[in-house]
Parts: sequence; structure tokens; C-alpha cells
Amino acid sequence: MRKAKLLKVFLTIIIITLATFPIIMSNVSWPTFTRDYLFVNALNETGASNTVSSIYLGYRLMDTLGETLVLFVAITGTMSILLNLHKHELESVKTQSTLVPEKRVKNALRTNLVEVVASKLGPIILLFGLYVMLFGHISPGGGFQGGVIFASAIVFLVLATDVKTKITNSHVLERIEAISFISLILITTYVIFFPEGFFSTIDIGSSFLSAGIIILLNIIIGIKVGTSIAVMIIAMMGGKHDN
Amino acid sequence: MNILLLSLILCLSIFSLIAKDLLHAVIALSAISILSALLFTFLKAPDVAITEAAVGTGVSTIIYVWAIRHTKRKDGDK
Amino acid sequence: MIIERVLIFLIFITGFIGLIGVKNIIKKIIGLSLLNSSIVLLFILEASRIGDHAPILVGQEKNIVDPVPQALMLTAIVIGVCVTSLSLAMAVRLYKTTGSLDITIIKERIENES
Repeated sequence: MRKAKLLKVFLTIIIITLATFPIIMSNVSWPTFTRDYLFVNALNETGASNTVSSIYLGYRLMDTLGETLVLFVAITGTMSILLNLHKHELESVKTQSTLVPEKRVKNALRTNLVEVVASKLGPIILLFGLYVMLFGHISPGGGFQGGVIFASAIVFLVLATDVKTKITNSHVLERIEAISFISLILITTYVIFFPEGFFSTIDIGSSFLSAGIIILLNIIIGIKVGTSIAVMIIAMMGGKHDN
Repeated sequence: MNILLLSLILCLSIFSLIAKDLLHAVIALSAISILSALLFTFLKAPDVAITEAAVGTGVSTIIYVWAIRHTKRKDGDK
Repeated sequence: MIIERVLIFLIFITGFIGLIGVKNIIKKIIGLSLLNSSIVLLFILEASRIGDHAPILVGQEKNIVDPVPQALMLTAIVIGVCVTSLSLAMAVRLYKTTGSLDITIIKERIENES
């Protein structure tokens, strides 16, 4: 049995090596055509200093819309599986969720240190997430990155006990996610029908508002991604039934 | 420098498939994410570095720990 | 240059062997995530060979790295985390229904039940 498995592993390695051999041994240099074009024209056409942002929010916006849709479908599917886990389980594999408030004081591993540190670090990370989301066109960052940091900050705030605000309430977060998803679809539909107004830049002179529609897209994508991941993690910890 | 980081990532990936305790494997996966983010910074790609660091240690590790919490933690039981 | 590509190829092999050869479901999903990470590393490595500076234009005259593979890899990382999340939810559902995380035992128990 072990000899057959070892032979199969060896054969797999040989076949994959033969299939990827041209990639490893090739000496063809990477073409520089796109880099030259973008170096000259990207700042004038879109107004964003961050070239990567001007690609995935300017020249290839439909790919970003497809990726947001895939994220939405994946999070919806995961939540629909995880909220119905208790209906079909066997008797020997029952576990309980950890963040139900009646069980919090009885858990021996939850000490005071986690709650104090998490409640003090949460607002700082929230502010950092909003900074990364808003300044995505002139420094590294952008909508998706700021959204994930925003979701991490909400997880920190949920772990602290004496913070019961509206931002950790799962109903409020679901409504914000729905509004931002609908407005993202509306903005890209507007872009299909009026393409010459797409790259319009507001020429005020300061560097913050010089990118036009890219700032709006960053904010909307960031809020959508952040709130949907936060709702999924709050449901994983078991906090969906209270408040 | 790239070669050192890539060989560290290779060692950690072999460890994460051999480990008997599933929590050790998940922590190794999170360490692979952070080393990848450092490597992306050396390769002049700051956007990808922020995304990989935030996603690999924020979202992905939390989902794995949730999955281990609701199933078994040890590998190799019958 | 060739050494880095060989190391990335070895990470790809490790992920692939983990996906098909290991019996635990959660380790198979770890292998899938390793496959994704190795391809992202390969693209960013190839894009960094033609320049010296990060792709943020501040009015300098120097040459930047290629920004197109970086924009593609952002989407690839997002799709990777989506696939991981859905497959882990399905693995937990399989565990709750059959009581084991081993592929051969799950196959026996599902065949015995139907």
C-alpha cells in the first residue's frame, strides 16, 4: 500500500515538472509595452497617482465589479450554511458558540486582558482603515484593503464587553451593506451609458480631490466589503441572535 | 534576500501538511501570509503586500479557526 | 533567477500533493490555499524584473515596475479567500452529518446510509 502511494506521488511530480518545464527554463524577457504606456498616460487620463488603482478602478472597472459579485455570493453562501448547521447534526458532534453573552463569564480562558486591550485598540484600527480607504489614489491602499481592515476593527470591538454601539449591531451593518451594494451597481450602470463622463476629474488644485470618480468607488467598495465580512464573522462567533 | 524568504516559505508549507495538531498547521499558514507580504514589499508591490497581510492574517485565519473549533482539533483520530 | 522559480515550483508541488494525497479535509483545503499563494508569488516576481521603483507616480523620471500583474493579483487573492471560506463551510457541514474528517471514513458512512 505504501509502495503504490509513493509511486503515485513520484509520477505526479514527474508529470507536473514536464508540464511546467518551459516556464521555469524560459529566458524570454517580460514585455515593457504596458509599463511605458501607463507611465506616460495614467496620471493625465485618470488623475490617480497610484497606477494600480487607476488600472483596476479606471481601465478595468468591470473586472472589479465581477470580483465584488463573487465575494458577495461567497459570503452569502457561507452564511446560509453556517446559520443552518444545527438542524442536521448527529448527537455526538454538538458544539456551542462562544460569544453568547450568558456563557461569557463562565469561560475560563476569557480573562480581563483580552477585553481591555481589544476595547482600546479597536477605534485606532478603525481610523487606520478609514485612512487607507480614503487615500487609495495617492498612496498604496484602496477600497478593498481599507474594507478588510475595517472588518478587523469591528471584530476587535465585538470582543470587548462594554462597547455596545450601533456599529457592532448586525442589523445595522446588513442595511449599510445593502445600500452600498445597490449604489455600486447604479454607479457602474451609469458608467456604461455615459462613458465620456467617466474619467472626469475635479480640477481644484489640491491633491486629495483630483481623482474624480475613483474616490467615490473606493469608499463604496470599501464599505461594502468591510461590512459584509464583519457580518459574516459576527455570525461565526454566534452573536447574531442578540441585540 | 528573496531566496531566503522563499526557502522559509517552503519549509513552513511542508510543516503545515505534516503537523499532527491542526491549529499548528493554521498558524503556519498565517506565518506564510506574513512572509509573503514581506516578500511583496521587497519586490516593489505595496498594494499587493497590504492586501495579502490584511486578508491572510485577518479573514483567512479567523475562518480556519472557526472551522477547527466546530470540528476536531487533532489529525489522525478514527 | 532560476533558483527563485524552482523554489516557487516546489511550493506549488507541495500544495498539489497536499490536495490529493492527504486524508484530512482541512489539510486538503490548506493545500488549495498554498496553490493560490504560489501563483501570486510567481506573477509578482516576474513583474518586478523590469524596473526599480514602486508604481506610484510622484513626478519622477525613473522607471517603475509593471503594474498590470499587481492589479490582476489583487483579484486573485480575493477569489482565493472566497473559495477557502465556502469550502471550509462545506467541510464543517460534512463533519456534522457524518462525524468524521477522514475522506475514506466519510465515503463509507455515506454509502452505508444511502
